[in-house]
Amino acid sequence: MKQVNIGSGSAYWGDLLEPAVEMADRSDVHYIGFDHLAELTMALLNRMKSKNPSGGYIPDIIPWMKKMLPVAVPKGIKVLTNAGGANPEQAAVEVEKIIRDLKIGDVKIGVVSGDDILPYLKEIRNEGWKFKNLDTGEEDIDRIEDRIVAANAYIGADLIIEELKNGADLIITGRVSDNALFVGPLMHEFGWNFTPEYTERIAAAVTVGHIIECAACVTGGMSNMWRVSERPWEIGYPIAEVYENGDAVITKTPESGGIVNQWTVKEHLLYEVRDPHNYLMPDGIADFTSLRLEEVGRNRVKVTNMSGKERPDTLKVCIGFRDGYIGEGLAFFPWPNALEKAQWAEKWIRERFKVLGVRFDELRIDYVGVNMLHDEVAPLDDRDYNEVGLRIAGKAKTREEAEVIRREATHLWTMGPIGASFGAPMNVRGVIALWPSLVPRDAVRTESRLLEVKA
Amino acid sequence: MPQVMLKDLAFARSGDKGDVCNVGVMAMTRSIYEFLIKELTPERVKGHFKGMVKGDVEVYHMPNIDSIELVLRRSLGGGATCTLRFDQTGKSMCTAVLRMTLDADDRLVQEAREASKAILERYGC
Repeated sequence: MKQVNIGSGSAYWGDLLEPAVEMADRSDVHYIGFDHLAELTMALLNRMKSKNPSGGYIPDIIPWMKKMLPVAVPKGIKVLTNAGGANPEQAAVEVEKIIRDLKIGDVKIGVVSGDDILPYLKEIRNEGWKFKNLDTGEEDIDRIEDRIVAANAYIGADLIIEELKNGADLIITGRVSDNALFVGPLMHEFGWNFTPEYTERIAAAVTVGHIIECAACVTGGMSNMWRVSERPWEIGYPIAEVYENGDAVITKTPESGGIVNQWTVKEHLLYEVRDPHNYLMPDGIADFTSLRLEEVGRNRVKVTNMSGKERPDTLKVCIGFRDGYIGEGLAFFPWPNALEKAQWAEKWIRERFKVLGVRFDELRIDYVGVNMLHDEVAPLDDRDYNEVGLRIAGKAKTREEAEVIRREATHLWTMGPIGASFGAPMNVRGVIALWPSLVPRDAVRTESRLLEVKA
Repeated sequence: MPQVMLKDLAFARSGDKGDVCNVGVMAMTRSIYEFLIKELTPERVKGHFKGMVKGDVEVYHMPNIDSIELVLRRSLGGGATCTLRFDQTGKSMCTAVLRMTLDADDRLVQEAREASKAILERYGC
């Protein structure tokens, strides 16, 4: 039975690069998918592009490709990345220069774009579509319309498959769903298409993509297995050995650190999922409740009996809009009576805000080391803590108001209880809030082209 | 009935999608899973979180992997990009769930202890 080996090389903008290079070097993968885009990232990249028309892609793509391509291209490993972000065309131009400089031979780059629906958002609305907020249930975007900075659809594997068919060695995309970076190559290699005959196998590919797409998160990172993960400082990224019938073995780069077992795979199956019967992706809907996991060797977990339904008619769209400013401050108080000092400081700062007559849209005060993470669920005890921090965070409509929080918090350093300590002050930051919604698949004007680089 | 904390019966991992936090709870054994599907009801989970979870709680059972997916709506201060929470993406919510105290019989507590020990022995390096 035909087998395709596909690995994951990145989970976010800023992830470790070495494990991806090691995978290309030491394993027999055919494809490596790099995800760089979190929910907020597209809004940040759009902002970069608006300041500089030749920006807007993930800058990491330059050093990444310089290291990856000389290892991957000679071995015939195909690389897929959504680091094109808000400007895949420009990212491709930059990578083209690298390929020429490195003299690594001819490389065909498939460029996939058209996920940005902001230019024609109005047209879609005029045709009667409402961008209902999937989190809050609000019917449409009227309330935020004049503050929208980005609107990107999570597009699927269609054009990745097309460019692989055209012979692409490297795929650079915009906001393609992380998942499609893995589904695309599998569908291409196995000759699957979006007819009902292949629905179950595509759902298996969606599931496999989900398991590996966050790189180290299934090989011992962010894991309950942290105590038994081998050499986690040399963690290996995951590889899926996928068979034509849709079954797969999840493993990692040979000789690498980390761990793959039934627990790390379960952790990731459950990760960032709502209804596990219906894991909605642009290329298919996976049902995670039928599959079976079996440890078939050291760092090898076999996944069988995956199932699902055909792809939805809508795509997820993430609309980013400006939503005020956040100001933050932090001070730490030492033993003795550290918690009492922090409580005193909380009262002090709340009173200061009253004296100044400022009101914030939202204000949150945490005791660091006591209940910042578990909030109301953390029991408060009366022990004499070694140290307690006070974190003050507030949201305001203007930068000036948010600045008040930062400034008043710094006064705690000189006006607070004895021993108050502090680090570097934090800058006020502008907030881009997200409005998750859906858009009809047919309304999104995706496009792709093949760029042939002769080295 | 002895009281047992969920942390002694299961693993958990949490993440975010917008203002929704999800917590995957992985029972250490099949009989613990069967116990937990009775205990981890939407009402119990929501009550445990007090004011932290402002929306509904949904519970999905996954008998194929002895796991339970908890979906906590309106629990992350508006979502990662605009929240005032330090833990913007809800990564620490999983261990907040593990603080739940349950009435379990001794047999189950013992079984969990052995399962936990076996995991360390099996994968320990």
